Amino acid sequence: MTASVPSIHTENLTKHFGRGKKRIEAVKSVDLTVESGQVYGFLGPNGAGKTTTIRMLLRLLHPTTGRAYIYGQDVARHPEVLRRVGAIVEGATFYNFLTARRNLEVFARTADQYDPARIDSLLAQVGLAERKHQRVKGYSTGMKQRLGLAAALLGDPDLLILDEPTNGLDPSGMHEIREFIRRLATEQGKTIFLSSHLLSEVEQICDRVAIIQRGQIVREGVVSELLEAKTALRVEARPLEAAAAALSAHWSVTTNSTWLSVQATREEIPAIVRRLVESNIDIYQVTSQRQTLEEYFLSVVGEEAPHG
Amino acid sequence: MVNLFRAEWTKIAGHRWLTSCLIWIFPVGAVGFTVAMSAILLLSESARTSFGADTVTWTETLVGAWSFLNNPLGRLLLIGFTAVMFAGEYQWQTWKNLIPRNRRVALILNKFLALSVFVIFAFALMSVLLTVGMGLLRAIAGASYGPEITGEVLRTTAADYARSAGLGFLSTLIAAGYAALAGMFSRSILGGVLVAYGLTIAENLSLVALLLIAIFLDFRTIVHLYRFLPGYNLQNLDSWFRIGEPAPLEIAFSGTDRLVVRDSAEFSALVIAAWVVGLIGLTVYLFRRQDITS
Repeated sequence: MTASVPSIHTENLTKHFGRGKKRIEAVKSVDLTVESGQVYGFLGPNGAGKTTTIRMLLRLLHPTTGRAYIYGQDVARHPEVLRRVGAIVEGATFYNFLTARRNLEVFARTADQYDPARIDSLLAQVGLAERKHQRVKGYSTGMKQRLGLAAALLGDPDLLILDEPTNGLDPSGMHEIREFIRRLATEQGKTIFLSSHLLSEVEQICDRVAIIQRGQIVREGVVSELLEAKTALRVEARPLEAAAAALSAHWSVTTNSTWLSVQATREEIPAIVRRLVESNIDIYQVTSQRQTLEEYFLSVVGEEAPHG
Repeated sequence: MVNLFRAEWTKIAGHRWLTSCLIWIFPVGAVGFTVAMSAILLLSESARTSFGADTVTWTETLVGAWSFLNNPLGRLLLIGFTAVMFAGEYQWQTWKNLIPRNRRVALILNKFLALSVFVIFAFALMSVLLTVGMGLLRAIAGASYGPEITGEVLRTTAADYARSAGLGFLSTLIAAGYAALAGMFSRSILGGVLVAYGLTIAENLSLVALLLIAIFLDFRTIVHLYRFLPGYNLQNLDSWFRIGEPAPLEIAFSGTDRLVVRDSAEFSALVIAAWVVGLIGLTVYLFRRQDITS
């Protein structure tokens, strides 16, 4: 049995734009590894470097330094490895003067992978079979996103790099695409590298996430573990000020109007309760509050934000 | 390679406005000209007499059709067509869909190939339609439309046709090279058109500019730079093919002070090849190094 080659691996991936005083360090020494079969979330605020990283993976941008590997092959030296990749970058864009089917034909022929039956099948899978002969000019943003997904799947890729794939979709459309992506991973074993602003979406479908800010990876790990590490307890007790004073020596405590938020794990509940009882404080409720990915993301981005 | 070519053809042919206005206008224009002239000739006796008095041959019409490539309007339309083919991908934000699917070098060379096929196809079709149309007009006017088709006539015409088409195509390819390079550098269709047309005009004015520099700076050697421009060399090659002699570059500075340069066909062929390869090579080089940010 051989060790599987990661779908994506980057080493010291760096990109600068401009020169001199106008130089912008868009991505700084990014080291990423996405194992095959994973659904990997790539998060970050606007301008953090997500799309620049994705563009370097797809050979659209030349890294200033560092290397990007897809299935163990350096994309700069072996660009043909990108035939194993399907991608949507910064929203799906097409030749608006062509029909949906013609667009897919152009992309498939460009990759020398033209298969009319596959094009029709993909259009049916993304719900565009009825309108495949309509020019893309008349498509809504959501329809273009679906067509983008079909375009990404043209060559039956092993790895999908999806940058904001649900932009412009209504809630049911989002749910549908999310399930579609999930099925691609679970049923077809495809690796998905997903960049999205919709953190609830990422939380629902991703196994691992990386958070990038100001060009650097600031957190990386398994979603459940990252969220577990940041568990908070909701403590309802009276008097509230005395409870806060009793706990703040050992834990980080935030006082809300009627309850306390204590940064502690579930295992620490007995110790917290003992401390409150010893201080003659009445306890009404202690519950574990698992952070959402959105809360986690905001706390990380807040911690990493420049001060002053 | 066939699939890549068909992808480009499907894309460009699908842009109906672009192809109708900038490329199919040539063969369609030939049909339009025939229809309009037919109506005039059918309605006017004096027009028929006047038209019949001209000595037009089918061989001249067939070969002469390619001269539209060097016509300023024809040149502008083809520069526009090239600029859309190359710079359009930036404006449509579609490079990001293409680059991961094939090598950048192949994508650019394929565009030059598709451009060449479009131009050759459109002009070959136009020359045939114009020749047939002119025959119809000559018939309406009751005039002759020679020469009689013989083996010798066909051989001579084929050679003339190849020369006219070949030189016209090379001249277009160089202008297209300007448009491709400028379009890709500026990432704008308008930028490509303006720079390429500006360069075409500048080339036409270059002899005057070089002469002025030679006279005012008393630096006559600079005029020799003109020998390395495409226009002069295409003219020289044309002369060699037609009459077996060069088209000399003759400049009279004053009285007997004259500069006469005669270049061989090989020299001109080499210069033209350097321009074509250089422009295509530069476009490929630029594109290979370019960051696609849109």
